[in-house]
Amino acid sequence: MRALRPFFAIVVLAVAAVAGWYFLRPHTPSASGETLTVYYTKLDGTTLGTWDVSLRAPTPGESADARLHDVVTYAALQSVAGPPPDISAVRFPPGTRVHDVTIVNGTALVDLRGEVASANGGAFQENGEFKGLVYTLTGIPSINAVKITIEGRTVETLPGGHLELDAPLRRSDW
Amino acid sequence: MLLATAVVRAETVSYAFEHSTLTFTHVTRTPNGTAVGIDDPALRALLKSLGASLTWRPGDRTVLIATSAPDVISFAVGDAQYGVGGLTAQAHFAPSQVGSEVYLPFDDLMHALGVGIQDGVLERLLTSVDVQGYGIQAVLVARGGGVLHPQVVADTPDRLVYEFDGVGTTLAPERTINAGGIRSLEITSSGSARDPKTTVEIDLSPGTRHDAPQSGSGEFEVAFGANGSAPPLVEPLRGSVAVVAAAAAVASAPPPPPPADMETAAATPLAQPTGATAVATVNAVSVQTASDGGQSVAITVTGNASYEWHRLRAPDNRFWIDIKNAQLAGGPQDQAEANPLIALRVRQIDPQTVRVALSLAGDNALDVSPSATGVSIGVGSAMLAETAPRTGTGTVGAVVSANEPQTTVTPVPADEYGTGGGDDQSQWKFGPRGYVPTNPKLIVLDPGHGGTDRGSMHGELQEAVLNLDMAERVQTILLARGWQVRLTRTTDHDVDATPASTQEAIRIGHDNTDAYALQARDDVANTAGARLFVSIHCNAYINSGPNGSTVYYYKQSDLALAKMMDSTLAASDLGVKDDGTVKVKYYVVANAAMPAILIETAFLTNPFDYTKLASSDWRQQMAEAIANGIDRYMRTNPVANNNQ
Repeated sequence: MRALRPFFAIVVLAVAAVAGWYFLRPHTPSASGETLTVYYTKLDGTTLGTWDVSLRAPTPGESADARLHDVVTYAALQSVAGPPPDISAVRFPPGTRVHDVTIVNGTALVDLRGEVASANGGAFQENGEFKGLVYTLTGIPSINAVKITIEGRTVETLPGGHLELDAPLRRSDW
Repeated sequence: MLLATAVVRAETVSYAFEHSTLTFTHVTRTPNGTAVGIDDPALRALLKSLGASLTWRPGDRTVLIATSAPDVISFAVGDAQYGVGGLTAQAHFAPSQVGSEVYLPFDDLMHALGVGIQDGVLERLLTSVDVQGYGIQAVLVARGGGVLHPQVVADTPDRLVYEFDGVGTTLAPERTINAGGIRSLEITSSGSARDPKTTVEIDLSPGTRHDAPQSGSGEFEVAFGANGSAPPLVEPLRGSVAVVAAAAAVASAPPPPPPADMETAAATPLAQPTGATAVATVNAVSVQTASDGGQSVAITVTGNASYEWHRLRAPDNRFWIDIKNAQLAGGPQDQAEANPLIALRVRQIDPQTVRVALSLAGDNALDVSPSATGVSIGVGSAMLAETAPRTGTGTVGAVVSANEPQTTVTPVPADEYGTGGGDDQSQWKFGPRGYVPTNPKLIVLDPGHGGTDRGSMHGELQEAVLNLDMAERVQTILLARGWQVRLTRTTDHDVDATPASTQEAIRIGHDNTDAYALQARDDVANTAGARLFVSIHCNAYINSGPNGSTVYYYKQSDLALAKMMDSTLAASDLGVKDDGTVKVKYYVVANAAMPAILIETAFLTNPFDYTKLASSDWRQQMAEAIANGIDRYMRTNPVANNNQ
């Protein structure tokens, strides 16, 4: 029996460690357990960072299309809102709103309104803010491109801007 | 405006120069040396004889001198630092302005021009002999004061000797090279200061080949290949002509006058290099249309030759075939064709090779085969299979040149220009997809924003104004170097959409055709057949943190230009952070048919960068750096199908 004491001690410690992890681990509020990765561009203007947000569980009878639309809309809202304030990131101008999201053949059509239509943040800001948005939405399975409209209209670029917005944007555009 | 404060007295100074005497009459002496006025007739005569030109307008602070090299020498009133090419040097004293004339430090000006001063004599100098090695290939580049026209005094398998008459030197006498078959160099000077002579002797390894040298400007280039390999193809020098390599011919012939246009020079069949034998002649290239709508290109060749062909992937639908060991009878051809061909070009691209290049409407299938009279290229209406070969070789006539084994297939060049990979990502909408720069000397500069679009504004500075200011400075420098330059806007106004752009925008269902202003900027370059498109901007952000300069690109064909521009800016001591190159789909870059970049010079919203942008001196420095980057790219990335 004395020879088995170390073995029992190890077992007890392992059980205690597992129990401790179970009670102390962060509990997500998501009932679904699904998370969504949201990308942002760091202040070097090119490097991407990420943070995760939780997704709600699908509602009974919710179709796959409706679920996808909801997830893409939520992702766009999170991306435009940007990461928590303590994270240094290239951000959309405050007051930018996601007005509508539609999905057509794997392309997310995102209509933006508000400050983004009038603020002239320069090439640095445009590159960073849209890179984060496109990476976020195309990280969702079945979404492979993002078409931006401003105030409901297809535009060449933002007013005084640079990024080509009259065609869908893809990750390969960066 | 600064005035000279250290002028002691006016006088005249005389120097012997070549076979005449130059008497400078617009001269002042300062405690640190002699200054000469830019309107001095003797100075103007000296500059003219050196192939240099001086630019200065009343009210300007900077005097620009374009040398024959070509380099730009820049002196600024009140600043003892001056620029030569991309380098900065320290003068003995600062230029000054007296009345309406700027006085430059004489000794420093002569040094920058490659002219030595010795015992009352001005002597043209050979200022550098560089060998740029590429493994078994190398290019020797000699530079100096004025136009260089050396004579070949010896050309044997192991020794090549050039003599620069009327040119002195202070270069080191011996150098070991061991690149491109060049074992060593020996540089010796002889004669007197009034009648100098410099000899460059090149010791070669057995089996080294060299091309006909190119001269006629302030540079002299010869390409070498070791162990029988072909010398690298170098871009013809601006205003240059081929110097016949055969010693006897050159020794008895005066230097030919440089033609004014690069294409004219390039189109001139080059002399056959020593040791090479042309065995074939390309007599004609014609296009016939078949009853089924297909076309056939017939290349009539007499003699024996091998050929090698390549084609690029869609959307860059170009094809070319090189007929080797061949001479082109008659002149080059450029002609538009009907669908499925767009254009046909024929050039002698080097002394041994004739190139026939086709621009196609699509990824049409081609059939390349020898014919009874040469080579036939059938252009079908069917599309090329994905697995079909995109390169091949063949022979014409009974015997293939021993120097060009028919089994040799060189790797597929990145593209016809040799500037980068095939551009599968090109998505520009309004021009021909198989873009060929019809004007390889033309650079389009795009001063961003303007008119109702002010760009970023901060403090008293407006981006639209700064962009135009810097673009005009770049234009001045590039024009002085012999390039053609067009600006998308020359005043502070909107660039309006062209009718063609608007119609196309309507056709593709664009919602806001009035706002197609950026495409109009691209149209300036696309419709003019420009070689490069460079957009100039100032950056901004919602806070003052970000700073530095960034070069944005999009297409694969932009990358080489972007990297070269970024490295040039980083090395130009501009005093702003180098933020490198960034790929992003910016409209003007993505929709320019040619290599294009967008330069964000500095941040208006960063206090440090703001002071730089507010300084006209700094904007001049930035303009010189941008011009140097463009110049480097243009010179090191030849447009093969146009400079032949």
